[in-house]
Amino acid sequence: MSANDYLYDILASQALGDESDEVQALQKHRADVEKLLCDHFKGSSPTIRYAGSKAKCTMNRESYDLDIICYFASGDTSAGDTLQNIYESTRGALGKKYLVEQKGSALRLKSCDPQTLGVDFHIDVVPGRFTDNSKADAYLYQPAEEKQRLKTNLGVHLNHVKDSGVIDAIRLAKLWKVRNGLPIRTFVLELAVIKLLKGKTKKDISEQMEHFWTELRDNSADLTVEDPANPNGNDLSKELDHNLKSQLASAAKRTLAQIDSFGWAAVFGDAEQKEKAEKVQLLRRAASVVVTPAKPWLP
Amino acid sequence: MTRLWHRENPSLFENEKRAVETYFPDLSFTVVGDFVHVRGTFPIRFEGQVLDNYSVDLQLARDHPKSLPVVQEVGGRIPRHADRHIISSDGTACVLLPDERWRVWPPGTPLLNFLTGPVHSFFLAQSLVERGDPWPFGQWSHGAMGLVEFYSELLGTKDIRMIARYLDYLASKEIKGHWPCPCHTGRRLRDCHMKLLLDLRSKISRKDATNSVNMIKNSGLLTT
Repeated sequence: MSANDYLYDILASQALGDESDEVQALQKHRADVEKLLCDHFKGSSPTIRYAGSKAKCTMNRESYDLDIICYFASGDTSAGDTLQNIYESTRGALGKKYLVEQKGSALRLKSCDPQTLGVDFHIDVVPGRFTDNSKADAYLYQPAEEKQRLKTNLGVHLNHVKDSGVIDAIRLAKLWKVRNGLPIRTFVLELAVIKLLKGKTKKDISEQMEHFWTELRDNSADLTVEDPANPNGNDLSKELDHNLKSQLASAAKRTLAQIDSFGWAAVFGDAEQKEKAEKVQLLRRAASVVVTPAKPWLP
Repeated sequence: MTRLWHRENPSLFENEKRAVETYFPDLSFTVVGDFVHVRGTFPIRFEGQVLDNYSVDLQLARDHPKSLPVVQEVGGRIPRHADRHIISSDGTACVLLPDERWRVWPPGTPLLNFLTGPVHSFFLAQSLVERGDPWPFGQWSHGAMGLVEFYSELLGTKDIRMIARYLDYLASKEIKGHWPCPCHTGRRLRDCHMKLLLDLRSKISRKDATNSVNMIKNSGLLTT
């Protein structure tokens, strides 16, 4: 099997079609969220749409979230006058049915059922307000940031990824991030892949990935990314600091060495071991959330 | 002789049983002779999914919840080997270091917390180790060295003699302010580490401290 065939097999094994149980469950929650918000904000009609990997077609089975935007029209004050009011009232509306946790500009939904309390549904709702009637740019509330208002544009973000010509490479890079436990925001990783593969869209997927890792290994110190929807107002430099760049460079170096010595399967595993890899990934995730672990001992 | 907890305190027995059997429907309480056992299938749950299962038998101590339950994996899945933290002679799983109990299952907290805390951590770790991963939360070295590692972290010293002196004070029936401080600065306890020692004495039982200091003294580590 060629390297390209292998990588496409991996991508196929990570695909989440609309009929998959995972996506069906997410879609059911999406419908619930939409109803909850529409019922709560009667008389208003916020724009509720998929965002994130579902909208960008970059979803992987091994690690997926559903991002939903809930933007109010620029003159609509039914959810509040300020961005903070919108954020809080959306949080209150979702809190009727979910355990809601603050996650930057987003609100993460978890189960509030006593039997499954705290189970993460992998759904983030991002409240905001359109800047004007064109319903393109929007402002988000950033509770933990000094600058609490962030301008963004979902359409620009989606088109930036969908028109990049490197969606498969983005999905593989996201898988690589998860498998290597790299603490880079997915949004920043997507921007890095697109930037580093500029002019390489006609290359084979294996060549694209090798180029991406080679650039990270050799030139990560100079790597910068910018938010296409707000290049001047959204400073992403702190998201890609020296420490993270070093981690990316080390992981890329290790990955290229693995390919060189043991082949591609050493990077993403055998395609037939998918189920095993998924189980291990879930077990690792389960271990990562243990708050007070006990170390075993033997007298 | 210790009075049997479940006969002395039937409401505690009922509360523990109800809580555990509600949360873990495949575990059940059984009284065998003087001991209460919790037996059945223990699930490793995460985000609503069961990732793995183990057949377990927990024997609750006669003075439960004062002493730790004895945990055994009875399905024969985990090799009875020290590297897997299973005592080969009787299959007992060493889920935690007793001196660390206050951190992971403080005295007075329900048995359910022991299951969802240290027991869950232990079997989750076993599932990963079985698949070739390292111990996800680390592991203490076996025997006295593991105790030294634990107290080194707790006290911020690698001096084994100093650790033994602290343990002597933790094992002592009482401590006096005019005693020399175990840190060996020459100061009196009341002018030095009294507060730390009182805090540790409230967390670590005298019995555990006594067992630990004896194990360290008998190990030969103090003479190296």
